[in-house]
Amino acid sequence: MSEQDPNARLRPDLDEEMNVAETHAVFEGATAATIRERRLHENGMEPVPLWLFLCAGISLLVGGAVLGKGGALFNYGQDSMWANEWTEDTSGGPEEITEGEVLPFFVKQGAKTYGKCAGCHGADGKGDGANYPPLAGSEWVTGENTEALGMIILNGLSGPIEVAGKTWNSVMPAQGPISAKDLAPLMTYLRNGLNDVGDVVTVEMAQKAVDAYEARGPGKTVTAAELQGGHMNLLSGEAMDPTTIIDFETYQPVGNAGGN
Amino acid sequence: MSATVQNSDPKDAKLRADIDRSLRHPVMFFFTSGALWLLVAVLLGFASSFKSHSPDFLGDAAWATTGRLSLAHQNILIYGWACQAAFGAIIWLMARLCRKESKNSILILVAGHVWNLAITFGLFGILLGGSTGVTWMAFPTAVWPVLLISYILIAIWSAIQFQVREGGHIFVSQWYLLAAIIAFPWVFFSSHVFVFVLDGHPLMKAAVSEWYRAGLVFLFLAPVAISAAYYLAPKVTGRPVHSYHLAMFGFWSLMAIAPWAGFQKLAGAPIPRFLPYIGAAATILFLIPALAVAVNILRTILQDETSASRNSPSLRFTMGGMAGMLILGVLGLFLNTSGTLAMTQFSLTGYGMDILAIYGFFSMCAFGLIYFVVPRVTRREWLSKRFITSHFFLSLYGVAAVVLFSIMGGLFQGQAQNDSNAPWADAASFGRAYAVGTTLAWLFIAFANTIFLSHLLLMWARLGRRSTHPTLLDSGHHASSPHGPEGDIDELQAAKA
Repeated sequence: MSEQDPNARLRPDLDEEMNVAETHAVFEGATAATIRERRLHENGMEPVPLWLFLCAGISLLVGGAVLGKGGALFNYGQDSMWANEWTEDTSGGPEEITEGEVLPFFVKQGAKTYGKCAGCHGADGKGDGANYPPLAGSEWVTGENTEALGMIILNGLSGPIEVAGKTWNSVMPAQGPISAKDLAPLMTYLRNGLNDVGDVVTVEMAQKAVDAYEARGPGKTVTAAELQGGHMNLLSGEAMDPTTIIDFETYQPVGNAGGN
Repeated sequence: MSATVQNSDPKDAKLRADIDRSLRHPVMFFFTSGALWLLVAVLLGFASSFKSHSPDFLGDAAWATTGRLSLAHQNILIYGWACQAAFGAIIWLMARLCRKESKNSILILVAGHVWNLAITFGLFGILLGGSTGVTWMAFPTAVWPVLLISYILIAIWSAIQFQVREGGHIFVSQWYLLAAIIAFPWVFFSSHVFVFVLDGHPLMKAAVSEWYRAGLVFLFLAPVAISAAYYLAPKVTGRPVHSYHLAMFGFWSLMAIAPWAGFQKLAGAPIPRFLPYIGAAATILFLIPALAVAVNILRTILQDETSASRNSPSLRFTMGGMAGMLILGVLGLFLNTSGTLAMTQFSLTGYGMDILAIYGFFSMCAFGLIYFVVPRVTRREWLSKRFITSHFFLSLYGVAAVVLFSIMGGLFQGQAQNDSNAPWADAASFGRAYAVGTTLAWLFIAFANTIFLSHLLLMWARLGRRSTHPTLLDSGHHASSPHGPEGDIDELQAAKA
């Protein structure tokens, strides 16, 4: 920008570097500070460094990622008003429930154990109609003969057996040994999950079946004839109200420790 | 260095001196009263920080509770210091860049006094329990209309000067100044009306108050600070601004991004979902204009072959402010990602970012401009370079410590707050050591600003050096100076007469 530039006066705050010593005599002390000032240059045309654009790009990426997490940004539904993902979920999942009614709990637990049986008897307990008899609607399951039912489960069964008006002739392998705490829910599930009997096979009753199994000795399947010869009873033991609150750890009624 | 001697148009120097003289009283009023309020704000910050870890400090008087002290501290810092420093910068820079003398200095001065009276009233209002409780709008509700009217009477003349300027070319600083002049009434008026006048959902009012804070920082204080930097860097070094295109990019990206920021403070609250996400993204994107401006200014200064960048107090503070702006942008990127935002929302961290923006960025740039302007309007040079260096380093270390302690402590505190199994008191005890550190750091800043205020008051009383040489930060006298032999300006005048 030379001194002859006719536009020089039109630019803001233009000034030149100058030697104060030479102009002292001309200027008053008033301009001593302003006379030192240099011209304002602004029209630098240096190239913009590439890394600056890279940093700007990173910033854009991060900003875009944050915006992207917003999902349906312009959805004004009730759900969209709450951005719960901002706060960390520290509750550690649903709270552990430690006690509750016996019947639904036993049915739930028994259903897990029944997973082993479902391969033959079907997830719905209806059998396959050819080799494996049904459990749903079977008088062997629903009848007043839990002792026989326990023996079939623990020892297995061979030989012909009449179930639901049909004679079945195949071999069921022994499922024992099973602990009383697994057997009780399983039998409760057979009677209440697959059928609708409405009573609970307690751990004490199941323990009787396990005791009888151990006394009889494993490795020998039962036959229908053997069962009908003196085992068509309910397992002995105090009946339990299906709404009794039990401890899910001990399977004993709450506040009734000691079994009385 | 002084090998080439150039003679400039004597009329230019005369015009500059005339502009400076026309604005002497309002500019000095804004700077000195601003510095006074800054000291008050820093002491209030010290007290409120002290109370946060030692509640027995200052006894159990109601006015000295943490809630009131902290609100008073933040509001005095904003309206007492930052706004007034910005006003001084706006009226002086705009007059110089438009080459227009101020014709309304008396009115500006009166409006400045009204502003200060309103602030004083507001301070006592907060301390006596009349605060509105809204973070940066805590003055009693009668105060804000007065502030707005005084602002208009202060700043409108600069907009008019811009309108009637000579010549077509607009300097970079003028863009930012004009943006700041327009943004302040927009942000201030709309937020206060929404929060205090209109009926609205309280949660949305809280969100607006957060938008106001971001708007005040990014749309008013930041443009003024950047404007001062764009003025000082080429002015003092005599070099052109590094890249004109980068300057344009920085300006427009700031203007496009800044209005969206702020709502992320309400993340997780039942406000329309896009608000917090856009707020967080915009605060992250602030890094882009910050980088563009900082690179432009710092390259202009550092590629200078003369000693100006090392010796000029103005440039030293400007570089400090640019560093503060960069750190603000980088931290904004990290602290607003969704993982960390949950930890920074309700903790000391947000306060650390506020202090970084107001002190580490804006105030450093404002100090730089003040060190440049005051010798011109008072026609006296700064008395002591030691005062200036002490002010710089104590400020730098102080603000770095406040920011570091607040952000670190806030992250620990936020993490503890989010642990729903731990008692709430744990969160406070996690932040405690950092709160003590913050208190100590405020002492540094208080000391820095006592020095600055004394220096400025001496200059205001026209007790500065009557020299033809500026006060630079180098050591001792030079055998040869670019400004020629040193002389006493009054003797020069007497000799001429």
